[in-house]
Amino acid sequence: MNIFNEKLKEVFFAILPITLIVMILRLSIIPIDNHLMGMFLLGAVFVLFGLTFFLIGVDLGIAPLGSLLSSVITKKNKLWLVVVAAFTLGFIISIAEPGLLILGNQIDVLTSGVISSFTILAVVSLGIGIFMILGFLRMIYNIPLHIILLGSYGVIFVLGIFTSPEFLAIAFDSSGSTTGVLAVPFILSLSLGITAMKKDSKASEKDSFGLVAIVSVGAVISVMILSLFTEVQEFAEVEMAEAHIGGSIFGSFINAIPGAFLESIIVFIPLVAIFLLVRFTWPIKKEVLRKMTLGFIYSLMGLSLFLVGVNTGFMAVGSEIGAYLVGLDTYFYLILIGFILGVATILAEPAVYVLTHQIEDVTSGYVKKNIVLGALALGVGMAISLSLLRVVVEEIQLWHYLLAGYGIAMGLTFITPKLFVGIAFDAGGVATGPMTATFILAFINGAAYNHPTADVLVDGFGMIAMVALMPIITLQILGTIFKLKTVKKGVEGNGKT
Amino acid sequence: MEKHKKGHITKDINNKGIDSKDSANREEAEVFKLYMVIVHHGLGSKVIQIAKESGIPGGTVILGKGTAQNPILKFLALADYRKEIVMVLGKVDHGKVFLQNVSEKLKFHKPNSGIAFSVPVSNIIGSKYCAGAKPPENTNGGERMEMYQSIFVIVDRGSAKEVVDAANESGAKGATVINARGSGIHETSKLFAFEIEPEKEIVMILVKREISEKVTRAIKEKSSIDEAGKGIMFVQPVDEVYGIQD
Repeated sequence: MNIFNEKLKEVFFAILPITLIVMILRLSIIPIDNHLMGMFLLGAVFVLFGLTFFLIGVDLGIAPLGSLLSSVITKKNKLWLVVVAAFTLGFIISIAEPGLLILGNQIDVLTSGVISSFTILAVVSLGIGIFMILGFLRMIYNIPLHIILLGSYGVIFVLGIFTSPEFLAIAFDSSGSTTGVLAVPFILSLSLGITAMKKDSKASEKDSFGLVAIVSVGAVISVMILSLFTEVQEFAEVEMAEAHIGGSIFGSFINAIPGAFLESIIVFIPLVAIFLLVRFTWPIKKEVLRKMTLGFIYSLMGLSLFLVGVNTGFMAVGSEIGAYLVGLDTYFYLILIGFILGVATILAEPAVYVLTHQIEDVTSGYVKKNIVLGALALGVGMAISLSLLRVVVEEIQLWHYLLAGYGIAMGLTFITPKLFVGIAFDAGGVATGPMTATFILAFINGAAYNHPTADVLVDGFGMIAMVALMPIITLQILGTIFKLKTVKKGVEGNGKT
Repeated sequence: MEKHKKGHITKDINNKGIDSKDSANREEAEVFKLYMVIVHHGLGSKVIQIAKESGIPGGTVILGKGTAQNPILKFLALADYRKEIVMVLGKVDHGKVFLQNVSEKLKFHKPNSGIAFSVPVSNIIGSKYCAGAKPPENTNGGERMEMYQSIFVIVDRGSAKEVVDAANESGAKGATVINARGSGIHETSKLFAFEIEPEKEIVMILVKREISEKVTRAIKEKSSIDEAGKGIMFVQPVDEVYGIQD
């Protein structure tokens, strides 16, 4: 089985659940018209091939570039170089992130231009750059991840007291939208490049994860600080972005290709620039170079196809399902189906595969892919259900969830094995990819828009924050179970784990 | 209590292997071999399971990479695929059953489904199951004496440093650490349907035959390999060695 077949098979089984669930829903309770269904199925085919090529490209091009880059930087053994390089990497990766651009535009509209999208883009990128430095220094100086996270979330907690509920949702959502589909694999591989050089294998393993987590925190903190310095009294009404429906099925896909391709190219620009820089300043073997170049081409192609499939095929169906379910007499179906959709969508999230593969590689298969996927899916499913509960029950505020959730997450860091602390907090950033940000967001917004007491702004947002939060808890619980189960039997005086 | 139980298990295995023969035969040298199985990624745990069913207490898995012999795929950089290499130490009679089961269950008769082979081992330390290990006849009895031996030490992740230090202090020229996972007789817990195979490190040391004893003793003392659950060490004869400067 070569890499292509292996990945195709993996991706096929990843998007099969979501496809089946939508089909079952259509046959059972929700009337989805044929046109929309056709769009969805064709979208699934685009996602299948898009994701396959994207993941192959990440393996061949993006991940090797990341680890090469960080090992080159660290080997120079100059602190200023690490600081400058880490900041630059963080800054340029996030400034090209389409998720951040969308977030910036939303805030621009919401605050009627008081905070321009440019300000958001600049401030968040600055914050991410600074936290990238923190993340690099942590790995080099062996600072435990949970200490940094405790400190950062402490700061967030204090800032949160002074932040308005609207901004709280936006700030926590921003953590998900900045760690985008391309940024995550790249950031993950950056940490591998450094930790692979460590002689202490235990420390190396622990430090292989956590960089995504630290970077996500940077985004949250910068949006919060920004909101403190700007006096925003009124929030404008948001318009629901109606999915573009109409025209022939194939026609709408073909129309979507240029836009998706352009978006992909914008995301790729900083990475290609870094690639060229490394290529001309560091000797790379010809064969490796060829592989990396092909990897970049595959992942660009794959990402474009994936975005076409998701934006054109998936969003409209998601919104339709949400709108229909919220209109039913009982909210039980809404919350149940929300859970199922959450579980199924996360399986099709690209960065999740990059993370699970990396976990398998780092632990030589001790922590298996499927078991991480299971915990992650459970977490995301619960996140969606809880978000829907918030849409239909007026009294529940986002900060209730966040305070309780992060309280639990922080408490768990003390008992969870440190490897899993890193994996769990990284998974929070990883779970919020393009699939959640489109399909599930459309689903929740569809529900919020059609619910009489719900406010799309306050209730619709915050879902990404929940998706980033719940996996942290479920994966840490998984880690604790692993710790309990990995005890040797029949050995006296066994102190180590 | 625990110790007693363990001894019992070992005896059971011994009996299963040669149940038709009388106890006098058990005193005879039991020949051990190292079985290597190379399979597609994801099947390593299955191989260990088969090993356990065949009477061998455990095994170790290393992640690897392979390349398909297809020019088009090679051009497109798609020829790589992931592999798992399974190392299993076992008695020859268990090993025969094991290899048969593996090639049957994993359909080795079909092309590209996997490879299995065995190599001789001259000394095993740290496993109750292998306590009676003696060098195999054909390499020991002959006049040929190999110049070098390779020492493999499999320990829990994080403990390789001690082994490397011990080896270097006692005269080895260097050591290579390989990341792996695996489970032995002390690690048999399950999480849902998954067997948990804890992380290991394999230390590979090439030494001259004369100092091989000294190095293994140093490692044994420093990482207390012969205590239960601390790891396993075995020595293999090596024929040709290049690249070691004296």
